Amino acid sequence: MSRVTPTSGLRILYLISFLMSLSLIYVDIKYKPFEGIKNSYKSFLISSTYILKNITVEPFKYLYDVTKDKSTLRNEIRVLRTELDNIKISNFLISNDSKFFSNDELIKKILKLNNINKPFHIAKIKYFDLEKYYCCSKHRIIIKSLDQNNINFVGNPVINETGIIGQVIFENIASEVMLLTDTEHVIPVYSKDHYCNASGSGKPGVISCTFSKLLWQNGVEIGQKYFSSGMGGIYPKGILIGEVIDIKEIDNKTVKFDIGLIANPINSNILGVLGTK
Amino acid sequence: MKFTQSIKLLLIIFIANICESFLSPYLIKAFINLPITFLFFSMFLYKSKTNINPFYIFLIGLFVDIISDAPFGLNSALFCLMAYLINSYSNTFKLFSFFQICLFFSVSSFFYIGITQIFMNLENFSYAVLLISLIFNTVLFITISLLRINVMAIFKT
Repeated sequence: MSRVTPTSGLRILYLISFLMSLSLIYVDIKYKPFEGIKNSYKSFLISSTYILKNITVEPFKYLYDVTKDKSTLRNEIRVLRTELDNIKISNFLISNDSKFFSNDELIKKILKLNNINKPFHIAKIKYFDLEKYYCCSKHRIIIKSLDQNNINFVGNPVINETGIIGQVIFENIASEVMLLTDTEHVIPVYSKDHYCNASGSGKPGVISCTFSKLLWQNGVEIGQKYFSSGMGGIYPKGILIGEVIDIKEIDNKTVKFDIGLIANPINSNILGVLGTK
Repeated sequence: MKFTQSIKLLLIIFIANICESFLSPYLIKAFINLPITFLFFSMFLYKSKTNINPFYIFLIGLFVDIISDAPFGLNSALFCLMAYLINSYSNTFKLFSFFQICLFFSVSSFFYIGITQIFMNLENFSYAVLLISLIFNTVLFITISLLRINVMAIFKT
């Protein structure tokens, strides 16, 4: 039996559905009212994966561990690996401590706030959409703090052992981190006496700056290092963000240059959320 | 459409989306974008013996938007367009060769990739990704259809 081609009534239904879709796209891009639904779905996905893993994989893993003599050693390795990740992040902080924390009072305040001997909260990546990271402009990760206290991290910078990777923008069961390369993200950076707002390029590991030759005649050169300027109050001042990898002249007056980031979010599963609040 | 069939379709789309999210990070390094979810849905429409209600297609599109973290309505609009095209030309397809059908689906996926790139990756819109994906998808579909024909021929003899 052959299929009937759409009648005029059905065509109207198609048109209505299509127009509804277009209006939804417009509303979503303009006002972002569906972010909550998407985040709830992600939270649900993370929780259900965790529960499913606990029910299905973990008992077998446990049985396997019990039967094997090396289970204790394996647990120790796991603990040591987490500790190593912590130390790597600590080292990054220690090597930049004067830049992260301008005075002792702030350090004391943070230590008291965290009730631990580290000035950051350890968090673990729970969901990283690598597909979106490589293909699209939206670069986000979902992290979960290993801290038992319910602390609001919104606005706090996130680091790993290689450097700053982004900031927390949403907090629910888990925290959503906007990476520096997300096109909606802007970080104020400087090099010598040149300041600019570097926005995410949508490409992995690259952020971009634009300046007018009329305002800045000295220009930039390949390999020039850029640091966080601390303006805006989110990121600490003086942290190496990256170096210039490409310079393009958009027109006679405007120059756009790309900064290759030194921090790579794929490097490790363990992150640190700075407690600057 | 029956309830069980709907659940089956949603499940297939969900699994296809997971496969896509696993494969994409590797394929994109070679400038290839393979929209598995869209292709599975298109294949379902193509194979379907009846016309599916546009509102139902719209809802499936919304479901895909949620699971793929795309702007709300993007997949709905593209799915509606694809459904309209397939339903309109369902009888014409019977006159087409396998090669022509493969070309139709690869060109559809080409447009799908292009439009999703415009909405989701305008800053880094890449013609290389579009063209390489078109070639890759065409070759892949032709290979799959040829394999299918050959396997069927083996079983017939």
